[in-house]
Formats: sequence, C-alpha cells, structure tokens
Amino acid sequence: MNGHLQADELLMIVAIASYVVGALALLVYFFSREEWLRNLGVPLAIVGCAAQFGQLGVRYALTGIWPLLNLYGSLSLFAAMSVFIFLLMAWRYKAWYAGGFVLALAAIALAYGVTWNEGTMPAVPSLQSYWAKIHVPIVVSSYAAFLVAFVFSVIYLIKYYAERRIALAGTRSGELAAWLDTLPSLPALDVTVYRAIAIGLPLISIGIITGAAWAKEAWGAYWQWDPKETAALATWIVYLAYMHLHTRMSWRGLRTNWVSVAGFMLVIFTYLGVNIWISGLHSYKT
Amino acid sequence: MAAQLDAYYNGFVRTFGNVLFAVSLFVVWGLLTLVGVIVDQGKDAAVYFGSYPAPIARASLRLSFDNVYHSPWYVGIIGLILVSLAVCTFKRVIPARLPPLRPVKIEKIPLHASIEVPGEEAGVRARLEAFFRTRGWQLRTRAFDGTEWTFADKHNWARRGVLVAHIGFVIIAAGTTLYWWKGFSGETVVVTGQSVEIPQTKAIVRLDKFAYTITPVLTKGGLVYQPTDYVSHVTVTGKDGIARPMVVRVNHPIDVDSTLYYQASYGFAMRFKVTHNGKDVPALSQLLLLEGQGLEIPGTRLSLSYDNFVPTVDKTTQMPSADPRVTNPAVVISVANGGASEGTVLAMLHSWIDLGGGWRVVPQSPVLYSGFQYRYDPGIPLVGIGALVLVAGLLISFYFLPARLYARVDPAAGGRWTVGLAATTVKGYDMFDSQFKDLVAEFSAETQGASHR
Repeated sequence: MNGHLQADELLMIVAIASYVVGALALLVYFFSREEWLRNLGVPLAIVGCAAQFGQLGVRYALTGIWPLLNLYGSLSLFAAMSVFIFLLMAWRYKAWYAGGFVLALAAIALAYGVTWNEGTMPAVPSLQSYWAKIHVPIVVSSYAAFLVAFVFSVIYLIKYYAERRIALAGTRSGELAAWLDTLPSLPALDVTVYRAIAIGLPLISIGIITGAAWAKEAWGAYWQWDPKETAALATWIVYLAYMHLHTRMSWRGLRTNWVSVAGFMLVIFTYLGVNIWISGLHSYKT
Repeated sequence: MAAQLDAYYNGFVRTFGNVLFAVSLFVVWGLLTLVGVIVDQGKDAAVYFGSYPAPIARASLRLSFDNVYHSPWYVGIIGLILVSLAVCTFKRVIPARLPPLRPVKIEKIPLHASIEVPGEEAGVRARLEAFFRTRGWQLRTRAFDGTEWTFADKHNWARRGVLVAHIGFVIIAAGTTLYWWKGFSGETVVVTGQSVEIPQTKAIVRLDKFAYTITPVLTKGGLVYQPTDYVSHVTVTGKDGIARPMVVRVNHPIDVDSTLYYQASYGFAMRFKVTHNGKDVPALSQLLLLEGQGLEIPGTRLSLSYDNFVPTVDKTTQMPSADPRVTNPAVVISVANGGASEGTVLAMLHSWIDLGGGWRVVPQSPVLYSGFQYRYDPGIPLVGIGALVLVAGLLISFYFLPARLYARVDPAAGGRWTVGLAATTVKGYDMFDSQFKDLVAEFSAETQGASHR
C-alpha cells in the first residue's frame, strides 16, 4: 500500500513541479514572446495535467474511495481542469500567452490543496451517492472555466489600461506599445473571455441542477438554502448578469471584464470561503 | 384614458423589457442571496445581538435578513425577475428570432468585404450561392428596387436558444408551484420498536431497528471518527394495508404511495428512573425522552431536561470524548427550579442524581431513534423537464452562433463583378470576426482570379 501511495504522491510532485516550471516559462514568454519558452512551457502544462488526472485515477483505484469528496481532491481536479480547459482553448484560439497565469494559479490551488491532504478517509453517508461522481466534477470544472475566464479578463484589463496610458501620453512607440501589439486585440480578448464563461455557465447550471437533484435524494428537498448552495446561486447570478450585459454593445468590453473578475472572486468565496469559514451541509473540509 | 393606459403600458414594457433593468434585478437578487450566506439564518434575535453591534443586529432583524430567503424583498425580487423574463421573452426574444430580410448598407457594417470576381453575372451568382450552400448556409434571394440581394443564414434555429432557456425557467417555476399547491412534507421521529402515523397519508411507519457505523480513521492530523452508515430497518403500512419491511439509508429514500421517506437524523432516547424517598414513580420512569425533551417533578417546581447523549466519557478526564461510539456513555441533564436554572450535570448511565426533597433520577439504557423526512412532490417531473430545457437553451445559446450574411453582386470595371459581403450575428461582430475573414479568404480563393479588399 505504501508503495502505491508513493506512486500517488510521486505523480502529485510531478504535477506541481511541471506547473511551477511551466508557469515560469510561460510567464516569461508572456513578456518576451521567445518561442522556445512556449515550447518548454506547453509540454510541461500537458505533463502536469496528465500527471494530475493520473494521480486522481491512481488514488481512486487504490482506495476505492471517490477522490473528490474532500478539499484536497477537489482542488486537485480544479487545478487539472483549469489547465485542461486552458490547453483546449489555447490550442483552438492560439492563446498560449495566458498559460503562465493559468499554470501559476493551478500550482497555487494544488499546493493549497495538498495542505488539506489528511490521507484517505471513507465518505460520510451523505456523500455516498452516484451523484458525487456527477455533481462534484461538473461544479469543479465550471470553477476551472471561470478561472480561465478570469485570467483572460485580467489580460484584457492590463491591455486596456496600458493602451489608455499610451493614448493619454499621445505617442505610440517604445517597448510597452510593441509588447501590447503582441497581444490579441481587446475585442478578441473579450471574445475569449466570453468563450471561457460560455463553458463555465452551462457547467455551473448543470452543477446546481445535479446538486439540487442530489439534495432531493439525500435530504428530500431540492434546495435547503445552505450557504454553499446559495453562494453558488449568487455566482451563477453574476455570470448570468455577465451574459446579459454582453448582449449590450455599450457594456461589452471593459465593464463585462470587470464583472468576470468579480465573478471569479465570488467563485473563490463559494468554493473555499464557504467551506472553510461557514458551516453548513457542504462542510466537508477534510 | 386609453392614451394614458397606453403610455403606462409602454413605460412598463420599456422598463421590464430592458436588459439593464433585468441585470439590475440580478444584482439585487445576488446581493440578497449573499446576505443569506453571510448572516446566519433563522436564529433567535439574541444570536444576532451577540454576533453583531446592536445597530447592525437591529437593522438586520428589521430588514428580515435573519430569514432573508422568505422575506418580502427576496420573494419580490424573484417576482420582478419573472415579470422581466416574461416581458423580455415576448418583446425581445421572440421578435428577434425572425429578423426580416431587408437590404443593408454593406460598407456600414463592421464585418464587410468586397471581392472582385471574373465571369458572367449569372455565373458569379451561381458560384456565390454554391459556395455558401456547400458550407451549410441557408440561402434566400430577394429583389429590392431592382437590386437582387442574397441572404445567407446559419444556425438560424439557434436564435430560439434564449427562448428555450426562458421556457425552461417557466417550467421549473411551474413544477415548484405544483409542489406548493398539491405537495406536502414533514418530519417525524420513530423510536426503536414504536410506530408513527403520517398525518397526510395515514401510512404507518414502524422502526424495527436503527444502526449506524462509525469508522475510526488515523489521518495525518490524528484519529478521526468518520460516520459511514446510517440505516433504518422499518416496516411500512401504506394505503393497501400491507405491511412491508423496508430499509432507509441516506441517499436511498423509500417510496410509499408516491411519498418519499428520507433518512434524516438519529439519536438516543432515554428513560430516567424517578424515585421519591426510594419508591419508584412509574408514571415518570416509563417516559421515553428524546434529546431536548424534559419532565416535571410533581408537587414541586423542579423540572429536568435531557439535553443530549454522550456516547463516550473519557475515563481520565471524566469529560465527553470525541469518540462517537458508545463505549462509556453518559447524559447531559439540566435541572431547573421554577424556571431558573439549577445547573447542568454530566451523569453516567445507571448513576443517580439527587434533585433534593427525596427525589432522585437514574438514567437508564438508551434506545435509538431515527428521524425521517417525508415529502410528496408531484412537481418533480416538471422540474426535471424544466432543468433539461434550461440547459438545452443555454447550450444552444452559447455554442451555436446564428449569423446572417448579406451579399449583393454589382458590376465592376473590366467585365468583372464585385461581390459585396457583410455579416451580422446576434452576439455582435467580434464573435464572428475570424470566421468571416476565413469565409472571405476561401471565397476569394475559390473564385479564381478574384481579389478582395
């Protein structure tokens, strides 16, 4: 068993190391656009992501306990899905420039998750349900999509305010302007944010619905006004507002990207804050 | 009068059909929802005064933030959202799915291009139509003022996505309304060996046995006692009068005459042998108390409350242990005299407690009880269908981009023809920018000798 657990931990170490080195490479790539850094960072992202899914699979195979029932496991999936969704989007829309930020956040999530690793524990009765295998991955994946949207929104805002500074200075020259030109246009960045949220919003909707179905089966009511449920509802409302605002030309861009940033802050509160600070039916910290 | 009503109606439609108004409602809804996450719900007023400064506690109570989800604000805002949803559906969403075929100023649309194509006019038109038709675009031609326009639509059906999502909400609302109208729910507690009758259905539930499993797990942080199973073995007699043995577990409710029974809680019921001057008082000794219940000592102002069961008392510290397995059990009892607390005591089972005046109580062995929730909800199928429709609407809205291309063919110099193309989508121009550029490049490449600007 120890040998197996060592394999589990080894994969986790590979993932964290890949993310850290990959994040550094892609962060430098973000500023320098040195192709070799991208060629180093992207394979590391793929290796880290694969190692994480492998680690979750090994853990499940060895213990027989669904690995996402505690904060350690769910943060592990959150990091893996963030990188996975980013890789898909970057491959599809040539958005590798954002990889450093995504990998850095994934590494932080993973490292934080490791601090909650208490070993393997059997699930409490309320978590012994097939819904755990549906609801939890869907909700965590939605959070991961929102992380990716957040990263693109931050890049949008960096570019927006830097462009504004240049416009105020009245001259478009120098290193900053040249670097900004390497980034996609603001409308293109905005569309990328929209696409990431278009992944996250249906997922969180399905997550809330499957959670309600599970609650119905476990506790007899779709909705208990539990802090986690209501915080997830608030998060859903924010992204729903984003989608509605995005239909308005005058709101599309700067303002919707601030909504995306605020939405992700709420995701963090819903995901971690409620679990840690507020007790309720979803208080499964360890 | 009619004009005034008309003005009111138009104002109402303008306000409730405005997306920004809907978003403002979302913001208020989201904030109120967050209030309920942060502020403890359904507690006694003293709890709020203990947790917050007095002015904030007072304001929270006055604004119903202690029960925000059932407050007039919360219900009202959801009502306003539903009205806004209905108005938007009929005034914005439904009309938008049938955009009229009409000419546009191609150069004024941000996504536009001009491609010069050699050949006869009829040939150019045929190549234009073939190009889009083979790529799945639905083509229609119309003549306006002697000029023939070609309109190409893709994913036109997906314009209904928002409508479908809105309908999903309405179906969910109908399902939950059906529950409020026809359904019911409740809670009951059954002590091992006893039966209860469910008032709404007259079903009889007898608890034959309740069992729970607690697994000690050595974690990195120390020993943790993890509950891993709660199971009630019951005999249920439904409408047909037949008694059926059934098993209720968490996540595994049972269905009796379409009413579902859920495992909700468990606990330890206690009997306290009560003696007065050494003589048993059977009327009191036979009482079975659930946690939180109490008994009055006759002829005195004394009362005893059974607060909770302690499965294990640490033998070294004589304090309740974290071990939830029953190994060295005790009970916590509060005694009051004339309503004033006389104190709380941790009493081992079968040990006596002297209440004074010759009265003594002795906690006996515990009897397990099981708590059930029951619920009849005829709205379940509707809510399920509504959820599916809602998700389908979201997926259609987000993953299928309805786009319309406007094309006209005009003569150019040198016996060539200019194909003017412009594109609009329901989500603005940026979303379709790269696809439009690809289309133009492909069309230019296919119409050999063509050039575009």
